[in-house]
Amino acid sequence: MNPSIPPSTAEYGGDEVSAIVLDPGYSTTRAGFAGEDTPKSLIPTCYGKYTYDGQEKLIFGDDIFVTPRPGLAINNPMGRDGIVEDWDMAERVWEYSFTSRLTGPKPGNPLQNGLNDAHESELPIEMEGVETEEKPLADSPLLMSEPGWNPTKAREKTIEIAMEKWGTPAFYLARNGVLAAFAAGKASALVIDIGASNISVTPVHDGMILKRGVQHSPLGGDYISSQLRALFKLNTPQPISLTPHYLISSKVAVDAGQPPQVKYKTFAPEKAPDATYRALLEERTLCEFKECVVQVWPGPNKLSAAGPNGVSNEDLAKASPGRPFEFPDGYNQVFGVDRYRVVESLFDAKAAISDPESVSPAPTQAQTVPELIKNALNGVDVDVRPHLLANVVVTGASSLLYGFTDRLNQELMQMYPGPRVRISAPGNTAERKFGSWIGGSILASLGTFHQLWISKKEFEEHGPNIVEKRCK
Amino acid sequence: MAAADVRDMLDLPAEGQPRPLKKQKVAEKRPEGITRELFALLGERAPPIAINENRYKGRPKWMSKLRVRPWRMVPFENSARSDGLVLRHWQRQSEPAKPALEGSEMEVEGTTDGKHTSEAVEKDYMFAKYNVKARVPNRYTDEEYNRHLKSDDWSRQETDYLMDLVEEYDLRWVVIADRYDYQPHPVDTETNTTALVPAKSIRTMEHMKARYYFIAASMLALEHPPSEMSEAEFELHEKMMKFDPERERSRKELAALQLNRTADEVREESILLEELKRITANEQEFITERRELYSRLEVPISVGNTTMYQSSQGLSQLLQTLLQADKSKKRRSILAPESTGAAPSPAGQTPASNAPGSARDSRADTPNTSAPAAAAAPTNKKAAAAAAAAAAAANKEAEKTVRTLTAAEEAKYGVQHHERLAPGVQFRSDRAQKLTQAKSNVQTQKLAAALAELAVPLRLVMPTERVCKEFEKLIHSVNLLLDARKVAEKVDNEIRVLEAAKEDRERKTKEAQEKTKPEVKSEQQEEEDQPLIPADTAAEAATAPDPNGPATAPSAAAAADGEAGEKSAGGGGPAASTGDQEGASHKRSASVLSNSSDKSSKRQRK
Repeated sequence: MNPSIPPSTAEYGGDEVSAIVLDPGYSTTRAGFAGEDTPKSLIPTCYGKYTYDGQEKLIFGDDIFVTPRPGLAINNPMGRDGIVEDWDMAERVWEYSFTSRLTGPKPGNPLQNGLNDAHESELPIEMEGVETEEKPLADSPLLMSEPGWNPTKAREKTIEIAMEKWGTPAFYLARNGVLAAFAAGKASALVIDIGASNISVTPVHDGMILKRGVQHSPLGGDYISSQLRALFKLNTPQPISLTPHYLISSKVAVDAGQPPQVKYKTFAPEKAPDATYRALLEERTLCEFKECVVQVWPGPNKLSAAGPNGVSNEDLAKASPGRPFEFPDGYNQVFGVDRYRVVESLFDAKAAISDPESVSPAPTQAQTVPELIKNALNGVDVDVRPHLLANVVVTGASSLLYGFTDRLNQELMQMYPGPRVRISAPGNTAERKFGSWIGGSILASLGTFHQLWISKKEFEEHGPNIVEKRCK
Repeated sequence: MAAADVRDMLDLPAEGQPRPLKKQKVAEKRPEGITRELFALLGERAPPIAINENRYKGRPKWMSKLRVRPWRMVPFENSARSDGLVLRHWQRQSEPAKPALEGSEMEVEGTTDGKHTSEAVEKDYMFAKYNVKARVPNRYTDEEYNRHLKSDDWSRQETDYLMDLVEEYDLRWVVIADRYDYQPHPVDTETNTTALVPAKSIRTMEHMKARYYFIAASMLALEHPPSEMSEAEFELHEKMMKFDPERERSRKELAALQLNRTADEVREESILLEELKRITANEQEFITERRELYSRLEVPISVGNTTMYQSSQGLSQLLQTLLQADKSKKRRSILAPESTGAAPSPAGQTPASNAPGSARDSRADTPNTSAPAAAAAPTNKKAAAAAAAAAAAANKEAEKTVRTLTAAEEAKYGVQHHERLAPGVQFRSDRAQKLTQAKSNVQTQKLAAALAELAVPLRLVMPTERVCKEFEKLIHSVNLLLDARKVAEKVDNEIRVLEAAKEDRERKTKEAQEKTKPEVKSEQQEEEDQPLIPADTAAEAATAPDPNGPATAPSAAAAADGEAGEKSAGGGGPAASTGDQEGASHKRSASVLSNSSDKSSKRQRK
């Protein structure tokens, strides 16, 4: 192919207007230019807050992991259900996500950036220039995503921020279920999104969600972490204590199952960071554990049930070789059947490891993935159900758990033996993690989409309520 | 010519002084990127290694000659939008009309042109054409609504709301039903918050569809009365008017049931489907086999042009040509002299239906027909052998003599003459088969039962001509017999009914008063007289075939005899058994005869 000839636009219907796609999640916020295949900017949604010299300081992005500053507290502007709680901070975090990598910091107001600082002797200049201050998104349309159950108020608040604070010329708010379906190349699909704080099932028909079918429950990645903590407490040779790397001064290699020989770092109470910082870093270790060890029982049937030839699935799972993991403090162990047990409650609520101290309550059967799917399908018209089952899209980083799609397939086949069940889950990690962002990137770079943007003019004319009318 | 001249002409070197072979100086080219010194070290024979140049390839030369066409960020406006939002995208700068023509002058012009076009916002956005909307019916006016569209179930406001939704979601009913959330009396709730909100009636998709289709159809009918509608419009109108929400609802219930089947049901269904597939495949195979068989049995269809043979002149011409062809081939016809087209007429030229004479000839060629060429259609092996012998004999004889067969010979060779032929091909066996089949199924069964009683097989074992004739007679008489029996039964029944009636009446009369006795008796007599009349006529009707009865029964027996005799003669089976059979058949036929005669005598007595 001749590189000097561009593909004709009619071939893929693309027309890029340098739009920015922002996909905020509970755990991470993704931002990038529309038309690209992965988000350029990926930051944690959490931010750090500490006081220094009596001044409150904020840290955004990956910097929050680095230094255990005294009194550093980690907060998340999002609520556990994926709805923004702290709008001011959410705005700051989101703004950081695209200004840090995409648009670059705009030159500040020349009145305040210090370059034009007047000498003491000169007269203060009039402040009318403040009005013309350049806004961070002045020349990029912005496409944002939202969960399917986002309330109207939150949607209106979002467009207000985008229009008034960031000054975007055009804005659109799309459901992340729809975007994930687009990323899989489908206009109608049943999107199963396994995120950090939530799992959700969204039926999408012709690019629109079916609101009565949208289901979500809190059994996401964080829930699995809480299960892991419960598992570590009940661990058989000895309970495992999670110590993040920053608290370890030195360690010695020990054999599997032996108590760790470690020297801890200690912080004076006034120098120590907040407990939330430790929780954040513990979460990182747990994340690693989930990536390396945790496995979903692939089915058929539940882990607790008996297999086809009378041998119980648990015995089969025990027979498979375990997986070793070394914790930051040097303790290491091979995890056998336990690695299946921690995620089994995503499919079978009874299999949950109970832990009275856990922050997340014990799951109910209605919160499990198969039940969510069943409820979602019951909420939509019977004529589209077979089509949805033939187009199941799995997305979200927690769906990368080893064997998850196999199990999901088995469960669906068991629940619906009649219709054809087909799961579409990209094997590429990035495509699975950034499913809804990629869908947004596709959508915002389509020539036919540009008529759907809510322009600044329309926003001024109709007010924030236009988002309800336009972004259906 | 001297050798030297030849050499000279062919430009070869002269003999004796061979041309010195040119020393092939293989000047090996030094590949680029290797120094001369290094190359010299390699010696004459360079090792067979490819020297890889690790160099950036660059553009192909032809490409660098092209002029660079710049891209620029261009603002554009989308005509599908109403607000005139201006977005910017990269666009290749439009080319000047003829870039190849002259250099600088044109270039200047071109660039200015480009500037002009880029400054002006593009004429029409490429993707605006995809902005299409579903066609929804015209909105009704107040008057129209009040006159035609009023409904007890739907308020005007809710109807409006439904129509808005339909337009908004482009008739995507799944989405419409999902988003349908009508708040009745929004004004009331605003002004009077304490007022009870009436229970929201849940609208199903079927309700909405029914309402919408009703409105759409009505609006369509208002626009054009049904008599003036176009085909498509009328069809649409009909479709919309016929929408039945109840049926749709039950269909969806079934669909839900179908979706929620258990694994066992699904398995069973798949097994059944597999079975069905197998059966249909078998049937298909059977059909193709049968078709193949039929195609073999069919008369070859002539494809030739037949118009030229349709006049008598054409026919005679054809006859002449055929005769000539016959003569030239020196083949002697074994057919009777009056059958003119003796030569096997070429199938491609013979008109099958239009020229009856030649058609008959063509049929005569096929051995399966009952055509007059009996020699070609042997009835059995013997006859076939005889025919073959006759043909051979005829061949031996000179072609001039055509033997006329005597009656005995005709019988011997099985030659037959037909007055009239049924058109088309048929099997002889069909005729035998036809005999055993009556008009009704019951009758056929009865016939078969009668034959079984006579120990005559339904399908003749040795269907020679004589046997067939006898069989025909037998069948005929059995038919008559059956008819007679039927009538007799009918009459019997009638008699029984009347007798019962009579008894009844007698009993009644006995119970009746004594004083009316004589009157009743006279009545009774009268009544007795009356039913006799139809009974008599019935008896007459029954007796009518009776004269045949005794005649047919012996003939049937004779036929059975003859058949048995044939059997013993042809098959050479054990004589004792055939004798037994004979006896049995005699007895049976006798019993049949006695039965029928009994009945007939009874009837006569009546």
